[in-house]
Amino acid sequence: MMHLRLIRAFISASAQEEAAYRANFYISLLHSLLNFATGLLGLGIIYGQVQTIQGWDYASALAVLGVYLTVSALRGLMMGPSLDALAGMDGEVWRGAFDFTLLRPVRTQFLVSVRKWRLFALFDLLLGLLVLGTAVTRLNHTLSLYHIAAFLLALAAGLLALYAILLAAASLVFWDPGLMVGWVFDSVFQMARYPVGLYPGWLRLVLTWIIPVGFITSIPAAALSEGLSWELLGVSLAFALVLAAGASWLFRAGLRRYASASS
Amino acid sequence: MNNAHIEVQNLSKTYRVPQRQSGLGAALRSLARREYTEVTAVSHLSFTIQPGEMVGFIGPNGAGKTTTLKMLAGLLHPTGGTAVIDGYIPWERQPDYLRRISMVLGNKSQMLWDIPPLDTFHVLGEIYGLDKTAWQQTVDELTAVLQMEDLLTKPVRNLSLGERMKCELVAALLHRPSVLFLDEPTLGLDVSMQRRLRQFIADTNRRTGATMILTSHYMADVAELCPRVILIHHGRLLYDGLLGQLSDQLAPFKLIRLTLDRDNGSADWRERLPEGTAVLNPDPANLTLRVPRRETSAITAYLLNTLPVVDLSVENPPLEAVIDQIYQEAAV
Amino acid sequence: MNHNHQGGLALIRATWLSWMQHRSFFFILAFGWMMQPLIFMFVWATAAGDQTIGGLTRGEIVAYYLTLILVNQITYSQTNWTVGDLIRGGDMNRLLLLPMSPLYNTLASELAGKVVYLTFVLPIVLLLTLLLKPAFNLTAVSLFAFLPALLLAWLLRFLWGYALALLAFWAARADALLAVQDALVFLLAGQAAPTLLLPPLLRTLAVILPFRYMVGFPAEVLTGQLNGTQLTAGFVAQIGWLAVTLLLYQVMWRRGVRQYTAVGG
Repeated sequence: MMHLRLIRAFISASAQEEAAYRANFYISLLHSLLNFATGLLGLGIIYGQVQTIQGWDYASALAVLGVYLTVSALRGLMMGPSLDALAGMDGEVWRGAFDFTLLRPVRTQFLVSVRKWRLFALFDLLLGLLVLGTAVTRLNHTLSLYHIAAFLLALAAGLLALYAILLAAASLVFWDPGLMVGWVFDSVFQMARYPVGLYPGWLRLVLTWIIPVGFITSIPAAALSEGLSWELLGVSLAFALVLAAGASWLFRAGLRRYASASS
Repeated sequence: MNNAHIEVQNLSKTYRVPQRQSGLGAALRSLARREYTEVTAVSHLSFTIQPGEMVGFIGPNGAGKTTTLKMLAGLLHPTGGTAVIDGYIPWERQPDYLRRISMVLGNKSQMLWDIPPLDTFHVLGEIYGLDKTAWQQTVDELTAVLQMEDLLTKPVRNLSLGERMKCELVAALLHRPSVLFLDEPTLGLDVSMQRRLRQFIADTNRRTGATMILTSHYMADVAELCPRVILIHHGRLLYDGLLGQLSDQLAPFKLIRLTLDRDNGSADWRERLPEGTAVLNPDPANLTLRVPRRETSAITAYLLNTLPVVDLSVENPPLEAVIDQIYQEAAV
Repeated sequence: MNHNHQGGLALIRATWLSWMQHRSFFFILAFGWMMQPLIFMFVWATAAGDQTIGGLTRGEIVAYYLTLILVNQITYSQTNWTVGDLIRGGDMNRLLLLPMSPLYNTLASELAGKVVYLTFVLPIVLLLTLLLKPAFNLTAVSLFAFLPALLLAWLLRFLWGYALALLAFWAARADALLAVQDALVFLLAGQAAPTLLLPPLLRTLAVILPFRYMVGFPAEVLTGQLNGTQLTAGFVAQIGWLAVTLLLYQVMWRRGVRQYTAVGG
């Protein structure tokens, strides 16, 4: 209960911070629309030449793009800004203001994960859902309740995995503020815009289980377009939970290091 | 029955700094087995502080003041020793403990930059789970005392340094902490703002009865606020007691003031001074000498015997000079 | 897509860079720039499989994209992002005092940056060449025509970006336009697909607009995708756009400086 009130306070403070930079609104709008348009056109160009690639037709690839835009929007809504405020270029650890965060009588991981919101991302979310919706209408089967439930679970697993990766990357700031693993991940994450099936076999494996960016978007999309087996769904959820536990462990190790090494 | 508010025993902190050697070979070797040098920041510090007391931590840069403060605030893990504050061990970081303490860092801000202070106070209210009316009451009270009602609705980035420090103080006091750590709270402020904030801190101490530990580079802060000081030097406790008696105990020298009889063979006084004395003022009518503390009585006797002394007094050097001397030794 | 570059370059100004390994920072930027063409190389190569797409085999597609990655890296002018900052931050004043055009200043850092980036990109492209077995059908003509095409592409892209960045003299957020430009480069300059594979409308736009001549054209030249007529037409368009851009730059610069000094920067 207290956590919900706290989140509400963070959202309202963030909304005011955002309003202080109203000029950025149009720039954000432009970036969102460009991101949306290039994604769609890129897909359109490919499927202008071929019908299917490795079993992925236009509608199912569109579903992946929709999931990608949706996941990116949710990331930009809260996880991204919050963790950036911790470990980003102008983040607390750089500025040395992290001490204040540690002094709060609230669990630190919770605090650093939810305290900054970027409400503009709701517009991105809208675009993402729009693409996702379009993809669903183009699928040549109607969705059963199982499809939808599996999709939501797989999406939750994907989001959890994304959060875990971002948290782990941010945690590295306690060892070396110059490490930019997060940036490298951002570049690789671009690959999640398209189905993993569009990449060669070895890369597909890497993108699903090692740098699981494909896991984050392709599996939920597959849940819609062809359905997931219970086994794969279970493995996905377990995998996401393992990642989250690992990231949380790394974050706590980072805190311990901070407590023993900072000056 | 021990009712000390803060009890610190043998508190120590050693940092392990990886040793870096130049050259590829050394780098590769260090991968296999890293070598560390140990840097002692705080060593076997012990003291107790009573509830409501106001104590100044003084010492040169790098003496270990901030490290000690951070350990007491639960931000740093010590490598040895114990500390108990209000019955809690700080570095266990229990929420109940964190709700009782607060910290002001003179060079860092906990305010949200782009929005008015009142909104930051709102967020802090939620973080500390404060009751709405209690929150409002505290904000009203503090802003009235600090005369900052008109600042509450301006974005923090538009405030001056002094105005911002007022906000930091309110932010730190919102949850009515019973222990307040103040690390260089007046850093960079002009003299009149320093004086006003000092006044506010003293008032708060009286009003709320909170225990306060203050570090500052400005001796005026310490002299005005803290009857008791703890001098830390090279991480060790050098002095713990009243500020007024610090130079008594620590000055390695004393000052001897002399008035010489001008008509009676005092022209060559300079040649007749014993070894180890330094002349601070060469006017024979008001001669001031600095002598090693331990030889004070011997030298006094010698001077009385060999010079035409009209008047002689022995004094402790001024506080600033003592502190300066200690700080300078630290720089060496 | 461009957040990385923008953020990255803002950092350089903030002297943030000085306390970290410079090189790894540049490498990460370069890695980000490689990503788009890499993605589309994989996608098109997979789509081609054992057949051809629009007359291109898998090997030819890989060859095209590996060339494109190099061309993109060589012609990308990161300084375009900083020129606007120079103007907004008032640092342009200092440069205007020097007895030479600030263009040279930009040019100098541009060249220095390229060397750093290439030390990262070149080995990766070589590695990918070994791994992915591209089919380079090099001919005397393609080799001979590639270098001038590359040089012209770089000049065009650099000047074009510089001229756009000069809009900062008038508008505070002119860098938004650079974002639009990057989107157009992605679609029309041969990144999303070789010009040959674009749908008709986009292909026509690509041939008419200048973007293809900044990146895609040299890669098409080297991998022999163009016949004689297309090659000649390409060079004519490249030189024509370069002339137009040069003119644009001159006009923008003169007016901009007048405007800048008039309001006192």
